[in-house]
Amino acid sequence: MKEKHKGTDTVSKDIQTYLSFRLGDEEFATNVQKVLNILELKPITKVPHSPEYMCGVINLRGNVLPVVDMRVKFGMEKIEATPDTCIIVLNVDISGEEVMLGILVDSVSEVLEIDEMLVEPSPSIGTRYKAEFIKGMWRQGEDAFIMLLNIDLIFSSNEVVLLQTKTEEAGEVEEEE
Amino acid sequence: MEAFKDKFKEEAKELIAELEHMVLKLEGNRANKSIVEEVFRVMHSLKGGSAMFGFSLIDKFTHLLENIYDKIRTGEYQVTDDILDITLNAVDHLRNLIEETPDTVAQLEKENNKFIEQIEIVLSKGALKSDDFKNNSDDDKKVSNHTKTYFVHFEPSSDFFQDGSNPLFLIDDICQLGETLIVPVYSKIPKYEKINPIDCYISWNLLVATDDDINAIMDVFIFTNKRSKVEVAKLSDKNLLAEKSHRKILLETLLKNHADLFEKLSIVVPDLEKAQNGNEQNTQRQRVQSSHSVEQTIASIRVSSEKLDNLINWVSELVTIQAQLSLYTQQNQHIGLAPISEEIEKITRRLRDDVFSIRLIPVSNMLTRFQRLVRELSHELDKDIVFESRGTETELDKNIIEMLADPVMHIIRNSIDHGIEESTEERVKKGKPAKGKILFNAYYSGTNVYIQIIDDGKGIDAEKGIDAEKVRAKAIEKELISPESEISRKELFDFLFLPGFSMAKVVTNLSGRGVGMDVVKRKIADLRGQVEIDSKLGFGTTVTIKLPLTLSIIDGLLVKVDNINMVIPLSSVHKVYEYEHTKIEKAINNLILADDERVPILNLRKYFNMTSPPPPLERVITIEYGDYYIGFTVDEIIGEYQAVLKPLGSAFKEQDFFPGATILGDGTVALVLDSNKLIELFAKTEVKIGN
Repeated sequence: MKEKHKGTDTVSKDIQTYLSFRLGDEEFATNVQKVLNILELKPITKVPHSPEYMCGVINLRGNVLPVVDMRVKFGMEKIEATPDTCIIVLNVDISGEEVMLGILVDSVSEVLEIDEMLVEPSPSIGTRYKAEFIKGMWRQGEDAFIMLLNIDLIFSSNEVVLLQTKTEEAGEVEEEE
Repeated sequence: MEAFKDKFKEEAKELIAELEHMVLKLEGNRANKSIVEEVFRVMHSLKGGSAMFGFSLIDKFTHLLENIYDKIRTGEYQVTDDILDITLNAVDHLRNLIEETPDTVAQLEKENNKFIEQIEIVLSKGALKSDDFKNNSDDDKKVSNHTKTYFVHFEPSSDFFQDGSNPLFLIDDICQLGETLIVPVYSKIPKYEKINPIDCYISWNLLVATDDDINAIMDVFIFTNKRSKVEVAKLSDKNLLAEKSHRKILLETLLKNHADLFEKLSIVVPDLEKAQNGNEQNTQRQRVQSSHSVEQTIASIRVSSEKLDNLINWVSELVTIQAQLSLYTQQNQHIGLAPISEEIEKITRRLRDDVFSIRLIPVSNMLTRFQRLVRELSHELDKDIVFESRGTETELDKNIIEMLADPVMHIIRNSIDHGIEESTEERVKKGKPAKGKILFNAYYSGTNVYIQIIDDGKGIDAEKGIDAEKVRAKAIEKELISPESEISRKELFDFLFLPGFSMAKVVTNLSGRGVGMDVVKRKIADLRGQVEIDSKLGFGTTVTIKLPLTLSIIDGLLVKVDNINMVIPLSSVHKVYEYEHTKIEKAINNLILADDERVPILNLRKYFNMTSPPPPLERVITIEYGDYYIGFTVDEIIGEYQAVLKPLGSAFKEQDFFPGATILGDGTVALVLDSNKLIELFAKTEVKIGN
């Protein structure tokens, strides 16, 4: 219940701009304030002995940028890149430290103006993802929902997917570091 | 205001460090007025700043200190051990004062009063002492600041010799007063047949630059007879003899031997004075001024390290882009592009070298504290030790220097405590100079900087004897070696870097508690450096630290493993061999034969869990690891590459063996491999498998 309460707290009257992207069949969105750049997929250098969800590193204007495979991070199966696959460059706050990070997503959808009054809190029971990572749900159209992400928290933790869901999904199992 | 205060604190800390440095310099060079001036100037700036920013304790305190040095400056006091001791203690006290907080103010104030008392004692004592030293202080006075130039014409009477006088003695006396320019006048000497040997025919025109007044010159001639002619006149309020070119002009005027020489000289003087004023470099007067105007001494600008880091980042980016341009030019034959690209390459390289050198500072920056350490510790332990340094202009990255200070401190502490003999008799008996010596030596070699701390003390007995036995016993006790195994000289010294090994016979409050060299080694390894001990019984111990020139550029060998580019630091690469894959696969006990030596191999493909099929012909790079070689297998060798090290970021913080990555000319990323770390980790996992 505590988490639910937290979720409602973050809802404010302001209209916020979000960037939505697709992973498999699900639609996610992150606040544009966090987004620095959207890049086409480019060669990624894999770093041996790193967590499964770390794709590796790319060159972003002379800097080394780590890239996270969001599919793996969210417990989905890895897929081959398509022409739509791209890297969203984010500026995230990992335990007080500003970190630049790329996330690999299936496709970038659109920029949305979202009235946060209309954001519904994510139910804390029965979801695949830990409630604290989902800021809320936003209804788009009749029965489509977009999950608004609490992006800072996602990268502060190795575990995004709830443990029981993971065992149900026989697919990618994240390794505990 | 707070921001200004912080700025002042930063500046004050530097001033205090400078003060410390100057005071130590003064110790070895007590008569040097310019150092006293410098000490005085630093104190003055510190005082001014602290008063402005409300650090009243510092203000008051430095004011008192300044008094002492003001008196030294004027020659009233002499530099004594007491004064030096108190100044150095004061330096520490000042450091505390800078960090004053409301909680510590009462305590600091108490200390402050104690210090002030001490200073007052020194002041009263100093006043007594100064009389005894008056005589030697005369010598130093000559080069002080209020130097004036006098013209002297001395014409002894012809019977000058009759009462046993010698005009040359008088001239000598004048020379004692300061710098002189002397022209004898021979024109009155008659023809040889007419010379009367008991008569004096020669007269002198001379210029003397002295800070004594005209009376001092007159005093020289006080006993000459009334018939001799002596003229003394002030020519200028400045020292006209300091500058060579001026001397020449004056000499020419003097040589002309006019009847009204003084008038002639007076005509030249104003011009010379003007020239001197215009000349910024001019020494004497500037020295006085330097205590008032800091502007002249500013040879550097304070820049925040953040700006510097930004600059370095941009240059690194430029280097990367330039590499891309070169690659593009090579691939596309555009007429006219090649020379431009080449030019840019040249400029970029120079720019990079210059920008990276900004971060480099000479190692002399950390010497002050070592000097201080040696001074204090040798007093405490009652050993007579001199600290010498060589190659202090050797430059290193600022970060490296900062991180290096502690380990070096520790090594020096060890040398003083255990290295240098307990008594001077012991040294003399061995035929060594009574004074112990600790030498700090720094030099470049290739892309590395070596720093050595050499003492000429007891040394460690590596061959046999108590020291070797002790280490052996300890190693056996720790189950590092079996009782029957032999250990080599190098192994023995290497043991000293392991925790729990100490050469100390007694545990003092300084060292010998077993925490020591292992920490030193770890800290130096953090800097990608290595440390080694060598020692000879009776001759002393040498600790050598090898460091990379900078932390941000690595000279490396670019290789490919399963399509991933990796850079292996060239410093650890020994040789490259070629083997068929099957041979590596079948290697017995993971050993292959390279130049008739069995070398264990580390299959990078396997170790990194790479699944793609390996090429039929693989390369093995032998990597130096301590005394051994270990072969890394790679798919392909691309060539030498100067890698600008970029951090991999916190996302890969558990990645021990990739300290960073670098960007290649084609824009892709290559991982930089820390071969030492990798081997260490590999060795650990191998042992696990073996068990």
